Amino acid sequence: MGSRASTLLREEEIEEIKKETGFSHSQITRLYSRFTSLDKGENGTLSREDFQRIPELAINPLGDRIINAFFPEGEDQVNFRGFMRTLAHFRPIEDNEKNKDPTASEPLNSRTNKLLFAFRLYDLDRDDKISRDELLQVLRMMVGVNISDEQLGSIADRTIQEADQNGDNSISFNEFIKVLEKVDVEQKMSIRFLH
Amino acid sequence: MAELLGSSSVRSGRASFCLRVVGFVLLLVFAAAASASRDISNGTSKEPNPAREEDPHHRSNTTHHKKAFPVLSFNYEHVRTPFEISLWILLALLMKLGFHIIPRLSHVVPESCLLIFVGLLVGGIIKAIGEKPPILDSTLFFLYLLPPIILDAGYFLPIRPFTENLGTILVFAVVGTLWNAFFIGGMMYAVCQIEGTGLGGVDLLSCLLFGAIISAVDPVAVLAMFEEIHINELLHILVFGESLLNDAVTVVLYHLFEEFAHIGTVTVADAFLGVVCFFVVSLGGILVGAIYGILGAFTSRFTSHTRVIEPLFVFLYSYMAYLSAEVFHLSGIMSLIACGVMMRPYVEANISHKSYTTIKYFLKMWSSVSETLIFIFLGVSTVAGPHSWNWTFVVLTVILCFVSRMLGVVGLTYIINKFRIVKLTKKEQFIVAYGGLRGAIAFSLGFLLTNDKMKDMFLTAIITVIFFTVFVQGMTIKPLVDLLAVKKKKESKRSINEEIHTQFLDHLLTGIEDVCGHYGHHHWKDKLNRFNKAYVKKWLIAGERSTEPQLISFYNKLEMKQAIMLVESGSAAKLPSTLRKLPSCRIIPRISKGREEEIRKLLRANLQKTRQRLRSYSRHDLMIDPFEDNMSEVRFRKQRVEMERRVCFHLDSDSNFCERMRCRNRVNFRIRVRNTLLIPEGKLFKFSREEDIIR
Repeated sequence: MGSRASTLLREEEIEEIKKETGFSHSQITRLYSRFTSLDKGENGTLSREDFQRIPELAINPLGDRIINAFFPEGEDQVNFRGFMRTLAHFRPIEDNEKNKDPTASEPLNSRTNKLLFAFRLYDLDRDDKISRDELLQVLRMMVGVNISDEQLGSIADRTIQEADQNGDNSISFNEFIKVLEKVDVEQKMSIRFLH
Repeated sequence: MAELLGSSSVRSGRASFCLRVVGFVLLLVFAAAASASRDISNGTSKEPNPAREEDPHHRSNTTHHKKAFPVLSFNYEHVRTPFEISLWILLALLMKLGFHIIPRLSHVVPESCLLIFVGLLVGGIIKAIGEKPPILDSTLFFLYLLPPIILDAGYFLPIRPFTENLGTILVFAVVGTLWNAFFIGGMMYAVCQIEGTGLGGVDLLSCLLFGAIISAVDPVAVLAMFEEIHINELLHILVFGESLLNDAVTVVLYHLFEEFAHIGTVTVADAFLGVVCFFVVSLGGILVGAIYGILGAFTSRFTSHTRVIEPLFVFLYSYMAYLSAEVFHLSGIMSLIACGVMMRPYVEANISHKSYTTIKYFLKMWSSVSETLIFIFLGVSTVAGPHSWNWTFVVLTVILCFVSRMLGVVGLTYIINKFRIVKLTKKEQFIVAYGGLRGAIAFSLGFLLTNDKMKDMFLTAIITVIFFTVFVQGMTIKPLVDLLAVKKKKESKRSINEEIHTQFLDHLLTGIEDVCGHYGHHHWKDKLNRFNKAYVKKWLIAGERSTEPQLISFYNKLEMKQAIMLVESGSAAKLPSTLRKLPSCRIIPRISKGREEEIRKLLRANLQKTRQRLRSYSRHDLMIDPFEDNMSEVRFRKQRVEMERRVCFHLDSDSNFCERMRCRNRVNFRIRVRNTLLIPEGKLFKFSREEDIIR
C-alpha cells in the first residue's frame, strides 16, 4: 500500500471496501476520518493502545474483548480494511440485499454473521463452543465483583442447561442461534451509520 | 328470549343450559338495573313521601299508645347511591362472565363489541320502561374510569420496545394526530360550504374542533382490541404507544379550538401560543408524573416494616400524579404513564413479592372493571343521548376518518423508514392504520362541548365513528391479521439466556459505537444506566438491593417464579417449564405410570432428609426476607425434582427395575443414585450424597 502515512484514501480502495462491506461512499470517508483520528502514530494502522485510548471503551466491561475482535488472529496491527471489515458486521440489513444472487457469499452483516461475531466474543479459545468457564468469565465481567462465585456458577449452570441440547455441557453455535431466535438480532446488532 | 331458548335445543345440551342461565341472569339484572335507574330519576320525587308518612305516625304516637317496635323496616334511600353503583358494576361483570360461558361467541366477536351491544340493550330496556337512561358523565369518565386503565398500561409498559421505537411512536402520535385533525376539520368545512347539505351553520373553528376530538386514537379501545389478537410486540407498542402519547396533542388542540370557537378569530400569536402550549402540556405532564414517581419510589424504600400498605402507595401516588396534572390542564395520561414508568424499577426492588402480586392483580382488576363499564355506558349513552342525524355529516366523518388515517400512516411511514433500522413493511403499515380505533375519550370530549347547536350532530357523528371502528374494524382485524400472516406475539417468557445475551449485545454495541465515535442510541442508554447505578439507585432502593446488578435480580425473579409455580402445581410430579423445553430425545423413556409412582415414592422417602441439610449448607439464599421463608424451601423442592428427573433418566428402560428394587436390598439403588449424582448440581449433592440416602 505504499510507504506513505497519507491521509488520502484512494478511489480504488473505496470501491473495494464498498464491494466487500456494503458501506456507502460517504460512510467510508467518514469512518476513514475517524480511523485517522484514532491513529496517533500515523502509520496507517491501529494498535491496541490506540483503541485503549478511547475513554468509554475503558469502562466498558467487554472493552478488551471488543478491541481484540478487531485484530486478526495473532496480529497486533489492524489496517483500515480490517477495521471496516469488523464494523461491517454492524451495518443494518437492507431489504434489497435479501433478493441478491443466492450463489454469492453471505454478506458480512447477515444475521448469521452477526451472531457469529458475537459468539466469537464469548468463545475465546475458538473451539466453537462456549464452555462453562468462558460463560463464567463473561458473567463476571458484566456483573462486577460483589457477587459470589457460587451464585454466578448457578446462573451459568442454568444458562447452559437451558441452551444445551446435545448434552455436552457447553453452548455450540447452533444452540446459540436457537436461543436467540426470539431476539430481534437485526435491530439489536445494527448501528445506523450516519450518511 | 323464547325463540332463543327454543332453538338452543338443536345445539348441544350444555350450550342450551348456558344460554338459559345467561338469559335468566340477564333478565334479573336488567330488571334490577331498570328499577335502579328509575330510582335515580325519581329520587327527588320520593323524598317528600317518607316525610309525609312519618307525620301520621307522629300524630298517631301522641294520640295512641306506643306503636309496636318495627322488627323489619325498609329504608332504601339510605344506601341508594352505593347500591346503584354496585349494581351497575355487578351487571357489567356478570355480562363479562356470561360472554365467556357462551362457547363460540367470544372467538368471533371481540368483547368490546358485545359490551356495547349489552349497553344498547340495557339502555333500550330502560327507555322502554319510560325512564331516562344515565349518560356517561364526563367527570365520572375522566376522573374515575380512565385512570385505572392508563395506570395499568403505564405501569406494565414494556420499556425496551417502547424506547427503541420512541421516535416512530412520537411521529405517529404528534404529527399523525395533527394531520388527522386538520385534514378532517378542513375537509368537513369544505363540504359544509357546499350548498344543499344544510350544514351552512358550521364554521371553520367548529369543524376543526370536531376534527380534533375525532382524530385521536383511543387507548381503551386499542387495548381491548389488541389484547385479543395477540399481535407481535412491535405493532402493539406502535399503536398503543401512539394512543397514549397523542393525549397531549388532543388536550392542546381541544382547549385551543374551544377557546377560539368562543372568541371567533385566530391570530398568528395565538397559533404560536398553541405550539408553546403543546410543549408545556406534554413536558409538564411528564415532569409532574416523574416527580410523583420518584416520591413513590423513595417512599417504598422505607416500607419494609409495613408491607401491607405498599400497594396503596403505588396507587395513590399515581392517582395524585394524574389529578395534579389535570389541575393545571396538563396531560393527565402522560403524567400517569411517566409516574408508573419512573416508579416501577425501584418499587419492584423494594417491595415484597406479595405486594408485587397485589399491585399486579389490583391494577388488572380495576382496569378490567373500568373498561367493561366504559363500553356498557357507551352503549347506554347511545340510546339515551339526544341525536341529530345528518346523513352527509355522519357518513362523511366516517369515510374521512378512515381515509385520513390510511394516508397519514402511509405518508409518515415513508418518512420514518428512512430513519429506522428495521423498516416497517406494507403489511405492518396496514395493521397500524387499521388499528386506529376511536373510543370513549372522543365521546367524553364531545360531551363536554358547550355549544348546543352543533353538539347533538357532533355527538351523533362521534358515536357513529366509534361504532364503526369498534364493530367493523374490531371484528375484522383478527381475520385480517390471520389472512395477512402478520407475525404474532411469541408467548414464551424471557429466558436467562436471552437476558444475558441481550445485555452482552448492549455492551458490545455501546463499545462499537464508541469506536466509531458515534453517539447513538446505545451510548446514551449506557450513560443513563451508569447514572442510574451510581446515584439514583442508592437513594431509591433500600438496603443491599441497591447494588445488585440487573442480571442477578432477573435470575432471582426467575427462580422465584419457578418455585412458586412448583408450589401452585401442588405436587412435585410436575416438572418446571424450562425443563420441558428439552427436545424429545431427552425426555424420560417410557416407563409405566405405576412404576414411575413407585420410583418417586422411593426417592421421596429416601431424600426426605436432604431438606434440613441443604438449608444450612446452601448459599443460594440471597434475600433473607423473613416474609419469604417458604420460597427457599420450595426452591429445594424444585432441585429435588430436578434430581428425580435425572435419576429417572439414568434409570433407563430397565423393565425389571422395580422388582429388583423391592427384592434386593437398597444397596444397588444407592450405588446407582450416587453415581448418577455426579452432575453440575454436584456441589449441592456432594454433601448429601454420603449421609442422607443411606438409610
